[in-house]
Amino acid sequence: MTVGFFNWRVAGAVFVGWSVVVAGAAPVRVVRVWCHQGQEAENAAMREIAGAFDAAHASEGLRVELTFFPDFQYTEKTAIAAAAHDLPDAFDIDGPLVARYVEAGLLAPLDDVFSRAELEDFLPTIRAQGTVDGKLYALGSFDSALVLYFDREKFARAGVTPPPAGQAWTWDEFLAACGKLQAAGIEPVALHLNETADEWFTYAFSPVVWSGGGALASADGRSVRDVLASGANVRSLRAWQQVFARKFAETDPVDPDPFDAGTVAMDWSGHWLAPAHVKKFGAQLGAMPLPRLGPKPVAACGSWCWGLSRQARDSVAAAEWLRWVTDAKHGVEPMARANGAVPARRSAFAAFPEYTRAPFNLFREQLEQFARPRPRTPFYATLTQQFAAALRDIAHGADVAPRLHAAEDEVQRVVDRRFARFATAMPPDSKEAKP
Amino acid sequence: MTPWRRTQRRAAPVFLAPALGLLAVFVVWPMLRAAWWSCTNADLLAPGDARWTGLANYADLVGDPRFRRAFANTAWFALLVVPVQTALALLLALWVNRPEPAWRWLRTVFFVPTVVAMPVLAVLWTLIYQPAQGGVMGPANAVLHALGLPPQAWLHDPRLALPAIAAMSVWQGVGLQMMVFLAGLQTVPRELLEAARIDGAGAWARLRHVILPALRNTLGFVVTVTTILSFRLFVQPYLMTHGGPGDRTLSVVQKIYETTFLSQDLGQACAGAFLFLAVVVLLTLGQRRLMREERA
Repeated sequence: MTVGFFNWRVAGAVFVGWSVVVAGAAPVRVVRVWCHQGQEAENAAMREIAGAFDAAHASEGLRVELTFFPDFQYTEKTAIAAAAHDLPDAFDIDGPLVARYVEAGLLAPLDDVFSRAELEDFLPTIRAQGTVDGKLYALGSFDSALVLYFDREKFARAGVTPPPAGQAWTWDEFLAACGKLQAAGIEPVALHLNETADEWFTYAFSPVVWSGGGALASADGRSVRDVLASGANVRSLRAWQQVFARKFAETDPVDPDPFDAGTVAMDWSGHWLAPAHVKKFGAQLGAMPLPRLGPKPVAACGSWCWGLSRQARDSVAAAEWLRWVTDAKHGVEPMARANGAVPARRSAFAAFPEYTRAPFNLFREQLEQFARPRPRTPFYATLTQQFAAALRDIAHGADVAPRLHAAEDEVQRVVDRRFARFATAMPPDSKEAKP
Repeated sequence: MTPWRRTQRRAAPVFLAPALGLLAVFVVWPMLRAAWWSCTNADLLAPGDARWTGLANYADLVGDPRFRRAFANTAWFALLVVPVQTALALLLALWVNRPEPAWRWLRTVFFVPTVVAMPVLAVLWTLIYQPAQGGVMGPANAVLHALGLPPQAWLHDPRLALPAIAAMSVWQGVGLQMMVFLAGLQTVPRELLEAARIDGAGAWARLRHVILPALRNTLGFVVTVTTILSFRLFVQPYLMTHGGPGDRTLSVVQKIYETTFLSQDLGQACAGAFLFLAVVVLLTLGQRRLMREERA
């Protein structure tokens, strides 16, 4: 048998020649990017941001390949990709889940991607959300805000005086106001307990726990023992339970937005309802920080943010994308305009004149001064589910102390297993040594 | 051996190969993989780093009060659902087993819930079970009110939540079992029924001595399938109560789902799935044994 036409030397020469030609023409570098699917306006904005990135980097042969995945498949999809060592170069993550990805060794630290001055331009909450064990792993282009909206007309009718602008009621003042409204025949407040997502409960009501001097997990995020069911938390949530026990808020509401429907006087809700509320109430709309259980108010924050894969094939290009998508002009502005969230960069606010007026100015003020990210811990998903389940039961009259202890025991069991598992499988230093 | 038979024997593997290949790739291999993971500390985000831990996951599960709670809930749910749903399905089948076309409509009506997506029904029944608040109440409480009974917090009362979900599940699933019984009823010999009637057997005697014996196989099938389906309980409590109040409606499948995607503890989740599989298989075998002994 003869090998007639195939000559290794010729083939080799051709290959080398082809490589030279391709290299000379600047090879196309593709950044693979995964993104969760949001509202249609958000997806369109994301596509536009990516399109602008391609246009701006055409001369370097750099372009982005954007893939959307439905929200509910996103965790599964990333998990499978991580297992197969096939994560994209950059992907977005819900803020509280960053610590879990860091623990699994999937995210690259970002400290070298941004200068100190650039980092200073980000809201402190966005930096805090992406920081795990003192290192920055994720940054977002927008943040969120949670406030107590109120209808000035209904307040006047019930003889309720709101606190001075930017200040919060104490819990007693809040309950007293609820009582006055109820006496005037007005339903006092909407707490949206019909939200199906567990995250609503942790997002909306951990400020109650925090302002009462408590926490959800230990400072290092490695335990919940004697923290989740602490005396302070039991006291705070007993106070919270009063709202339902005294029928100031519905435990099983049906209407997703009773405030705009005009049936309730106050709305414990997020920035996403601000446009609808402003449109409906105009100057009659008021907003204050959430009522506080201790000396200082605490606000909620956090949202989806971006991380870079440790396995990124072209980490320089991936970092370039991250800089673009969090850039005030190219990333933050179009996205915040599309989804109505709070811009994550201070320099971006100039493009949003509404942030000089209520209620939007309060959003920024809270994030700059007294907002707190949810616990950054690898077992956050379990923690939020258990906390939400406890809150649902407490709202429906469960005894606070035993219910919180049950949640604490369950979370701690998961924590103990996790750290036992990692102690044998992968000591922290060996993980750090990975490229 | 005839040549024809020899060809057959040679051809068989060729014809079996596609099916066996698919089974191997999509059933056997994943099962083996899961069995291996169940004996490791596999992490969902990094299963490549899994280390052998023997039966530690199984031991942890057996000692986990929440997993035991989930098993107890699921078993209790099956105990509530299987007898009621089977009896109700048989009664409905006997009722609508008539040749006139008008009855076909009734059959369809009973069958409709089995065709509608469960999440839709879960939302519907959450509204039906709405507690009384601010003068408004759900239909379930409206009925109690009309009867002069106090309203109930159906899905939030630890004693009522699981039975309430069981009632909804019976309503949803009964149509399917009714259809199976209807099919079974067609096989009851008409002559036998007529002979019984001529001999003076009343409705009850005919049911007890003619219809039920003829339906024994159908009955066995319905009981087995209903048991397996009720052990797979997940969507209704997950959407209606999130497993609450206080884990009273937490099902085994929900616990396994949470272990996989919330604690991302793949090893333990696989162990849970195998333990669950073992229990369901044992139950099914036990039921079959019981039915067979009855026949002897």
